[in-house]
Amino acid sequence: MRLLPFEYAVRNLGRSPLRLMLSVGGSVLVVLLVLIAAGFTQGMQQAMRVSGSPDTVMLIGSGSEESIERSEIAMRSAGIVAASVPGLLRRAGIDAVSPEIHLAMPLVTEAGTPGRLAVIRGVAPEAWLVHDDTRLVRGRAPQPGRSELVAGRLAARALGFEPPESILGMTFSLDGEPYEVVGLMEADGGVIEGEFWTALTDLLVTAQRDSLSTVILRMDQAELGDLEAFAATRLDLELAAIAEPEYYAQLSAFYRPVRLLVIVTAILIAIGGITGGLNTMYAAFASRVREIGSLQTLGYSRAAILWSLVQESVLASAIGSLIACAISLVLLDQFVIRFSMGVFGISINATVLSLGLAAGLLLGVIGAVVPAWRCLRRPIPEALRAGE
Amino acid sequence: MALIECRQLTRTYRRGNEEITPLRDLDLDIESGGFVALMGPSGSGKTTLLNLLAGIDRPTAGTLSVAGKPVHNLPRRALANWRSAHVGYIFQLYNLIPVLTAYENVELPLLLQSLSRSERHDRVATALEAVGIEDRHEHYPRQLSGGQEQRVAIARAIVTEPTILLADEPTGDLDRQSATSVMELLAQLNSEQGRTIVMVTHDPRTTEWADTVLHLEKGRLVEQAVGSERP
Repeated sequence: MRLLPFEYAVRNLGRSPLRLMLSVGGSVLVVLLVLIAAGFTQGMQQAMRVSGSPDTVMLIGSGSEESIERSEIAMRSAGIVAASVPGLLRRAGIDAVSPEIHLAMPLVTEAGTPGRLAVIRGVAPEAWLVHDDTRLVRGRAPQPGRSELVAGRLAARALGFEPPESILGMTFSLDGEPYEVVGLMEADGGVIEGEFWTALTDLLVTAQRDSLSTVILRMDQAELGDLEAFAATRLDLELAAIAEPEYYAQLSAFYRPVRLLVIVTAILIAIGGITGGLNTMYAAFASRVREIGSLQTLGYSRAAILWSLVQESVLASAIGSLIACAISLVLLDQFVIRFSMGVFGISINATVLSLGLAAGLLLGVIGAVVPAWRCLRRPIPEALRAGE
Repeated sequence: MALIECRQLTRTYRRGNEEITPLRDLDLDIESGGFVALMGPSGSGKTTLLNLLAGIDRPTAGTLSVAGKPVHNLPRRALANWRSAHVGYIFQLYNLIPVLTAYENVELPLLLQSLSRSERHDRVATALEAVGIEDRHEHYPRQLSGGQEQRVAIARAIVTEPTILLADEPTGDLDRQSATSVMELLAQLNSEQGRTIVMVTHDPRTTEWADTVLHLEKGRLVEQAVGSERP
């Protein structure tokens, strides 16, 4: 098949600057929407995925398996499990058994303001042993009795601290108690990056609690079955043992409807965008029906003309897609989204960008094929009379 | 054997429940090197005949052969290939591609043939020179007058050295001076290069350049005048 010169498609783009602007603008919006939806779901899934370690088990109050923040277990649970279950990880004489409180509390930056909700985790030093993907990147760990906080990178950004290091030295009011940020931590993008950690004893006092939310353990020779058996036999403690990856998988499943809603909304708006694109392209092609008839008269096949029209449309949508990708990388990547169990960052990675570009190109192809075919299927003599 | 042979050529359209037959049982022979003017009132079938000769429309019945090759039953793709090799078409409204220069417009039909860039360049230069517009080859259609645009369109029609040159009211959109100039050019292509030309026209003055004038009415040939003297 002999094709029309590529310059024909390129120059046709400049025939109507307004139409070009509409096509490119439409592509930018649709692709941006696809990138936001994909980045949102990727970011949320990524946070959940990296948050579970296969050899880590959570002991949670039975009946509260879906939400750690509602869980309450006895303070003594940590000591009992460490003494009862052999084969737990032990480093430098310390058992990898981390008693923790997880609370969502308002952090107040200025007196009189309502503050912003943040996930606060009260931890003992064992927490650093259990959560081995979590590391301090600046400052130091919080010390008991000093009302100190370590901020996760995303948590700092969620409060507007950019760069996140600028949160160091800040003082927040937590239930009327001043807490100073003394460290900054990372957790490979997991949920912990969206949290604040403080000393367990300080949070017990501030929150006026006498119970834990969870005990998190790392196994060495022990197996999940051992901990399930422990939870089943110690009825007095009212515990449920759940592997950490399973907990986050359940949490991820809990938020699946939210992700679906985001995706469905994106698809619906994209369909609207494609419909708008179809109209724009049809108007563009319909005004050139006689020209299309002339090209056929010269001997160009319908397929060759269709290919050129698709090239033209794909060029416009490719420009829009690239602009959308650039906008998303500059403005959206790691944009912080809050939800009930913390925060996560929109993830604009290679997969998401590829999806956005593919959506843009698809928009260009669909946006051209249908209207182009409507123009091309007219008999040539009729096309040559168009506009007379 | 005539270059173009039409036998019982019929074209029928359906518009709603109505059946229209702009061309009915037409028998016509056009010799190679002829310059034929087709005349007749609107709806007489002259443009339909031109479209059939150009291979952009198909007869409902009858046969059409050009240079001994039946073209009435060629499939769509083969018909497109045949058009690109054998037909040069000149439109009333020039139908140049506005985003391409005069040179690129003339080159367009050559891209359908297996020619090198330099071969295409030589052919385009020759065609532009033949129509006297070689100095405007970098101009876009909007930068040309109507007469100049039609000359570029003629260059585009002759650049492939087609078997037949078809013109649909080639002077219909031109002032008198430009029309005369275009007709002189067509006559020159016919007499000096031996091109076979079939032209639809409403203007009796343009028939003076043709050697045969055919009158159509209601899809039938009603009169044939041969051997008119050129101005």
